[in-house]
Amino acid sequence: MPADHSHELQDETLRRAVAELRRPVALDPEIDAATLRRIRTQAPRPPGQPWWRSGRAAVTLAAGVLLVLFLRAPASEHMMNGARPVELRLVAPAGSRVVVVGDFNDWDPAATPLRPTGEPGVWKVELRLKPGRYHYTFLVDQRQWVRDPSEPPVPLTDFGTPMSVLTVS
Amino acid sequence: MSDSDAALVARTLAGDLDAYAQLISRYRDTLGRYASYMVGNREDAQEVMQDSFFRAYRSLGDCRQPERFGAWLFRIVVNRCRTVQRRLSRDRQFTGELPSEVPANGDATSSLEWGEEISRALASLRPHYREAFLLRYVEGLEYDEMAKVTGANQPALRMRVKRASDQLRELLRDIHAS
Repeated sequence: MPADHSHELQDETLRRAVAELRRPVALDPEIDAATLRRIRTQAPRPPGQPWWRSGRAAVTLAAGVLLVLFLRAPASEHMMNGARPVELRLVAPAGSRVVVVGDFNDWDPAATPLRPTGEPGVWKVELRLKPGRYHYTFLVDQRQWVRDPSEPPVPLTDFGTPMSVLTVS
Repeated sequence: MSDSDAALVARTLAGDLDAYAQLISRYRDTLGRYASYMVGNREDAQEVMQDSFFRAYRSLGDCRQPERFGAWLFRIVVNRCRTVQRRLSRDRQFTGELPSEVPANGDATSSLEWGEEISRALASLRPHYREAFLLRYVEGLEYDEMAKVTGANQPALRMRVKRASDQLRELLRDIHAS
């Protein structure tokens, strides 16, 4: 039985929604037979060895890398459509690594690092964002959350993280 | 008494496909619920599950903790959902059509309408937010488990859950207001 964390939600409507979503869902049992048919035809031998120990590993890996590069290219171009350049700056003299996390990068601390500008303690990054409203904040040395002082703040979240809001028009 | 996951994995590795059929049957619906809500329609969810079971079978030798087969399989399902969801986004076919389960108790019509409202709201969330919300509140994972499944770190996941909750609350409020 999975844990129930819905007590964290302060909103009754959300708690009701979660209760609804936690109802059992029945998929078509035909999935079982279809999977077994596929195994018998495409992978008839028992899966004894890790795939990367096979002689085809290098070829598979290279093909995978090429596929990822191929798939990413049009996505990147797509992201540029209608996007506008936005420069974010932060003065963090004590920091050795500064990243920005927000709605535009799904709050992923690995996605958008800032780089030193050459001015002492000043970091910057240029983003390309589509028109919209974005919540974001900076993370200094993976432990200190710092909101952007040049943009309006938003009220403190439940997690106590200071954030700013950026509007791209 | 049914066999443990570890026993079924061992039998599968020894060539017993019936043992793997038992694992499929055991996890089809439990992980299928996540897939259904993540990709937004039953047909693609079934494709996700079939593909995940097939990939898991081929890589079963990589499953280092057979007693935690379900958690290992869940990681594969999460990744397959991401792949299918990206394809759906490109094709603009994400419908938010959700599992149409008739509730065992209560008013079936109103509950189905409520379920459809939730699915529409859920479908309009960004995929990473939807993923985090489902893992936390529907699948009941702890944040360290979510980090293992998604590859994201815990602060990012907490923020995604928070943003998803905020947006879902607003969306459900809008639906009720309209």
